[in-house]
Amino acid sequence: MVNDQMVNNLVLEIRNLHASIAGKEILKGVNLQINAGETHAIMGPNGAGKSTLSAVLTGNPAYTVTEGEVIFRGKDLLSMPPEVRAREGLFLSFQYPVEIPGVSMTNFMRAAVNAKREHQGLPALSAGEFLKLMRAKRALVELDNKLAGRSVNEGFSGGEKKRNEIFQMAMLEPCLSILDETDSGLDIDALRIVAEGVNKLHTPENATIVITHYQRLLDYIVPDFVHILADGQIVRTGGKELALELEQTGYAGLV
Amino acid sequence: MNEYILHTGEKKHLVITCVSDETAQWRIIQEADSVLTVHLFCLEKDADTRCNVLLDIEQAGEHAETYIYGLGILSGKQHISVHTRVRHSVPNGKSNQLLKFAVMGEAKGAFLGELIVAPHAQHTEALQTNRNVLLSPAATMQTQPQLEIYADDVKCSHGASTGQIDESALFYMQQRGIAPDVARQLLLAAFFHDIVSTLGEPAIEDRLQRKIAALTEERPLR
Repeated sequence: MVNDQMVNNLVLEIRNLHASIAGKEILKGVNLQINAGETHAIMGPNGAGKSTLSAVLTGNPAYTVTEGEVIFRGKDLLSMPPEVRAREGLFLSFQYPVEIPGVSMTNFMRAAVNAKREHQGLPALSAGEFLKLMRAKRALVELDNKLAGRSVNEGFSGGEKKRNEIFQMAMLEPCLSILDETDSGLDIDALRIVAEGVNKLHTPENATIVITHYQRLLDYIVPDFVHILADGQIVRTGGKELALELEQTGYAGLV
Repeated sequence: MNEYILHTGEKKHLVITCVSDETAQWRIIQEADSVLTVHLFCLEKDADTRCNVLLDIEQAGEHAETYIYGLGILSGKQHISVHTRVRHSVPNGKSNQLLKFAVMGEAKGAFLGELIVAPHAQHTEALQTNRNVLLSPAATMQTQPQLEIYADDVKCSHGASTGQIDESALFYMQQRGIAPDVARQLLLAAFFHDIVSTLGEPAIEDRLQRKIAALTEERPLR
């Protein structure tokens, strides 16, 4: 019974994933299983492959998968182009959100939401319905109307960019969200707003991967599992107490 | 050669569209306080042809203003060559040139922008900007700003750049579920937006935007 449920709840399964960039191998056999309702933290020293893992999962063309497979909700993730992965419910909160001058947040999000709806066989939202949805989701991360009217990320502060990522996550309602160093460059107030947004979006049906260097974020987004990634492999897995242990001893004591 | 004189205080709006196998030459002399606005569009699809445009404008009277906006989407085997010459022969003139080209397929574009400020044409304000984006490996764009400034109390600047579409923006949009060709279209609409908005007529701006969308719809050869 428990086993059946485990299988049915599996959102992501990474098997022996190897990936390289410009001929240099970064991921050297990553294995990971994530079930619906779970939050996993991936921690590790600089250069361990944390951001590479999120780039490979989302299909960033700069990286080449050399071995292994990834099953996302029963489907072969690696054979899908990046936009299909997104429409299937994979979301990445970028470490460095990209500024797109001249493309309004509204047009950008409308294209994204309607691409996903089309993929699901749903009709496109009308302009009115869409604006209503924007308003409702904006409140979640206290993103004001002015920001929503501007070009994508253009001239946003570091904190505003990260709040904008979580706003987009709220709009797209992903099954699996990867938060890549969402805490970097955030002051404590922005961190709290972002974390509260993430927590409100958490449901028993979706899952979250939090990639972070520091324990601080995990005070706000409490993980069920903590994985230590070092030199392209997960070298330790534990509960949330592992992050605290790491804070005390540093990576040197564990890796 | 089309020749015009804009008389004192006259305002004129000229719309030029590049048509296949045509050499369009315009010589315009502006008297005092006249305002000339030119919109130049190169929006033919996959034309296997050549088009040369020359815009030769002279400010012969003080306080004249010249605005040149150029927008081109070149595809197929098109060769488009645009040559502007703006001459400030008297003081207190103003000019602004903004030209943008997106080049795809095996098309070739060329822009030569001459800006001449005569020795006594003090207090001239002149600006020239040319931005280009190449959408395929075989596409080329030659840009050649040529400034001859002989007066010393002027505000003149120019900028020219040719680049590719921003790959990081493209991936960011794909990660949100937007297909690459739609993302590219959005980026190109943004690229041309400042020129489109100079038309000042919402219905026409809308039509031009749809034309741009149609011309950039197809996935360019990569």
